[in-house]
Amino acid sequence: MAIEKQQLEHLARLANLEFGGEELEKFKEGFEEMVAFCDGINHAVAGDTSSIRGVDSRTIDFEDLREDTAQPSLAAEKVLSNGQSSNGYFTVRRVVK
Amino acid sequence: MNYRLVSGFETHVELATASKIFCGCSTKFGAKPNTHCCPVCTGQPGSLPVLNKKVVEYAIRAGLATHCTINAVTHLDRKNYSYPDLPKAYQISQYDRPLCEHGYIELDSGKRIGITRIHIEEDAGKLVHERGFTYIDYNRGGVPLIEIVSEPDISSPEEAREYVEKLQLIMRYIGVSDCKMQEGSMRCDVNVSLSQDGVMGTRTEIKNMNSVTFIERAIIYEAARQREILEGGGRVEQATLRFDEATGETYVMRTKEDAQDYRYFPEPDLLTVVIPQEKIDEIAAHMSELPVQKRARYLSLGISAQNANLLCRYRAVCDFFDACLKADAGARHAANLIVGTIYAALPTEEDKEAFALPFAAEEFAKLVKYVDGGKINFTLAQITLSEMLKKGGAVSDYIKEEDLAGISAGELESLCIQAVAANPAAAADYRAGKHKAIGSFFGYIKRATGGRADIKAAEQVLKRLLSD
Amino acid sequence: MSGKIARFSAMLARGEVTSRQLTERYIARIQKLNPVLNAYVCTTFEEALIQADYADGLIKSGMAMPLTGIPMALKDNICTEGLPTTCCSKMLQGYRPCYSATVWERLKAQGAVLLGKTNMDEFAMGSASETSFFGAPKNPADISRVTGGSSGGSAAAVAADLAVYALGSDTGGSVRQPASFCGVVGFKPTYGAVSRYGLIAYASSLDQIGPLASSAEDAAIVYDAIRGSDVRDQTSLPSAGGPTPLECDISSLTVGVPQEFLGEGVAEEVKQAIGAAVCAFERAGAKVKKVTLPAFEVALPVYYIISCAEASSNLGRYDGIRYGFRAEQFGDIRDMVIKTRSAGFGNEVKRRIMLGTYVLSSGYFDAYYKKACLLRGRIRQEFARVFGECDILLTPTSPTTAFRLGQKPASSTAAYLADICTVPASIAGLPAVSVPCGIGEGGLPIGLQMIADRSRDDLVLACAHFFEGVAEVKTPLCREVQL
Repeated sequence: MAIEKQQLEHLARLANLEFGGEELEKFKEGFEEMVAFCDGINHAVAGDTSSIRGVDSRTIDFEDLREDTAQPSLAAEKVLSNGQSSNGYFTVRRVVK
Repeated sequence: MNYRLVSGFETHVELATASKIFCGCSTKFGAKPNTHCCPVCTGQPGSLPVLNKKVVEYAIRAGLATHCTINAVTHLDRKNYSYPDLPKAYQISQYDRPLCEHGYIELDSGKRIGITRIHIEEDAGKLVHERGFTYIDYNRGGVPLIEIVSEPDISSPEEAREYVEKLQLIMRYIGVSDCKMQEGSMRCDVNVSLSQDGVMGTRTEIKNMNSVTFIERAIIYEAARQREILEGGGRVEQATLRFDEATGETYVMRTKEDAQDYRYFPEPDLLTVVIPQEKIDEIAAHMSELPVQKRARYLSLGISAQNANLLCRYRAVCDFFDACLKADAGARHAANLIVGTIYAALPTEEDKEAFALPFAAEEFAKLVKYVDGGKINFTLAQITLSEMLKKGGAVSDYIKEEDLAGISAGELESLCIQAVAANPAAAADYRAGKHKAIGSFFGYIKRATGGRADIKAAEQVLKRLLSD
Repeated sequence: MSGKIARFSAMLARGEVTSRQLTERYIARIQKLNPVLNAYVCTTFEEALIQADYADGLIKSGMAMPLTGIPMALKDNICTEGLPTTCCSKMLQGYRPCYSATVWERLKAQGAVLLGKTNMDEFAMGSASETSFFGAPKNPADISRVTGGSSGGSAAAVAADLAVYALGSDTGGSVRQPASFCGVVGFKPTYGAVSRYGLIAYASSLDQIGPLASSAEDAAIVYDAIRGSDVRDQTSLPSAGGPTPLECDISSLTVGVPQEFLGEGVAEEVKQAIGAAVCAFERAGAKVKKVTLPAFEVALPVYYIISCAEASSNLGRYDGIRYGFRAEQFGDIRDMVIKTRSAGFGNEVKRRIMLGTYVLSSGYFDAYYKKACLLRGRIRQEFARVFGECDILLTPTSPTTAFRLGQKPASSTAAYLADICTVPASIAGLPAVSVPCGIGEGGLPIGLQMIADRSRDDLVLACAHFFEGVAEVKTPLCREVQL
């Protein structure tokens, strides 16, 4: 299955990824192979798929949902401990290339 | 050319729960940044959402109040898009099976604005861009929202205003949200298009409106802009717009070309929720009265339509008024005093919405009952009330029991006799059929009693005296 | 025959050894062997000794539980508060979670001793642990071979006795397949039997934490400590109290042998070992029945579509803002996110994110994702039908024994075939175990997979326990820790 380069670029944009020109060429080959592999399901299903639901049919009763009580949050230092922060905010500093 | 405005709303309403939709963090507004956060609402790897029961209950209330069908089997979906205020890069929302569908809101004209659907979802965090820095606060991330999607049934800016105000009022009545547009707990995305001789036009969407006035202005501006394009033979581009409050103009945020592909799919971390019919019935049975119902009840108590409308505009006022009724105050005097005297002391919408008074409804009811019982006249009640609004305190601080006892039936009778005697000309006029002349005796009685006499009772006495 | 955990527990209880001594011996062994095997990507010896002392206190005061004082390891995708948890990705370099996974909380409550975090495929995406940012772990049976994956480090650590047991995670076979390659027991419980809270998600509807251990008995003890519903994971299931019974009447069972699992591509030596295992059950009085699962042939594409779709969404959160790696050179914040993700993720992860984005995108959703969900339902139904006529299925865990490190697969999808036997049970959420059932060419372990119906985790473990007793497979383990 051939995938247009343009389509790959669109997917990359959705996925917040970028590929260099050569990298994209290389990637395209492997990607097409994966898509062809997934096309293996096509002969197994025919017709309308509109009524299909994705997940597990497991259900939860309304009464078993979580009660609305506020619990203590994490200390802000903990929340911020793995990122860059300033005055309690996560920060990203614009860097000129 | 005959253009007709076609507008639909997507309204986000923050639900007034104690905890967030998928974790136990507090939803309180105004905390220090990132202090109402945990692994779940900051999207830490490995964390999982757990659905808050009250969110579902509140959304059901909202659905019932807008005449929706409640889907007893509902599930959540992931809406994938990337923005720094969205910690998981997806928003947990509902796609193909929202909790509520097919409702409406009725405008005063009797026209119904269809409600397509109401679904539950999580709010995002807050971004501030400043001098090359982006600051991110996730406190609001995970605060529960309902999104109320209307049909494109709105055909004028006035209808738009009424729709938003009605929606706001209903949500406040049923206690699911404070709907404070300034604080962002109610925000509207407004779709605008012009249909031409019945043919639908291309629509634009004005994002994130947070004031009724600006909504009206934005619609007027956008409709005019589209009309100008169409009349000039051009085509309206499908686009997402932002309304600039300073200039009163809309400008394009993004066009159709960079439209999002949200890649919705069922949220695998949450199970399908099943709501038994008995639960829906129970929620319906415990719902507080809606504005329409309240208005009808007030009218049945003999309140004027205008007063009923003015009272019903504010949930807190209705609560106060209902408490007065419960304390046996008469509806008509109570309504008149609230709408007249109290409203005058609360000039802004916010003041009336909050309706924070320096005395309890029961205290106010006492005053009303004095008027009802003819122990004081309405004017004195107004004066007393104004004082109470300024200084607070109890009715007894202003009106002494002995004063009330002072004007007995006998005293009133003699006062009336004095009044007639003092003004023989008016008495003659009255007897000659000029019944309006009776008013001149009232002034005398008011002056003589310092406004404490019951003018209605005096009127009866005077009529008897003058017809003798 | 008694398991290692029970043996150590008894010694700890009798005071013949302390948890500190036991832990020190494991530490010494890790220091000696890990440089070769690369099973651990991070060791936590300092904390381990503190935990060992705490455990010794519990033991002294008569409060010992089955796992008190036993040194163990966690796969590096299980969150441990304050300790590195990287999913073996550059993306999570330096990440120290602000909370702990439920499984780790439960083990800590028993007085477990954590030696470190084990190597794995980046974000659990792979079948050889070769996509690890820290380099591949090596198979203790033959260090020129892969451990399997993605829980390769956990399997190697248990096989080389660098931990008494380890936790792994299994999405399409990531506990069972490396267990098979390294010659240990790997158990994937029923989906939901063990809380996923704190397990860094690959594919949410498939991920399941499970133990790797040197016997079914040990796996059962660990399973009993970590299973049960968790308020923080709505998909978790409540479980019966009390230890999982390991005895069962084999003669009352019907053993199913699905023919599709023994087709071409399965090595002859593997087929023979499975045949012998089936005979062992037959000799014990079990009825043996050939069964078929026709939907098996689409299991792999169904698995890749669903797992990649979920992964593309689950991995969207790595944006360099709140945790992990952040690119150094970028323009605005959006550019930062793109640069961070492009440099932080390895190729296999990017491939799967892109495939997942593709199958969910507008215009392709119905053709791929929806169809895959439909077929997932069909695979479930077929299993349900088969479990109407038999109690347990016996299959190979992997078509082959461990392959060579660095061996380039014929194509990027050829590597996926390593998962072909394990993926069906994952798709259906069924409990499955891999136990050593023979030694193939080059002294490489062969694994027997047993699959039971949903929530029959007890049956899977009991059958594994029975089989160990009769098969007496001697896997070429490195010498055990000497006490």
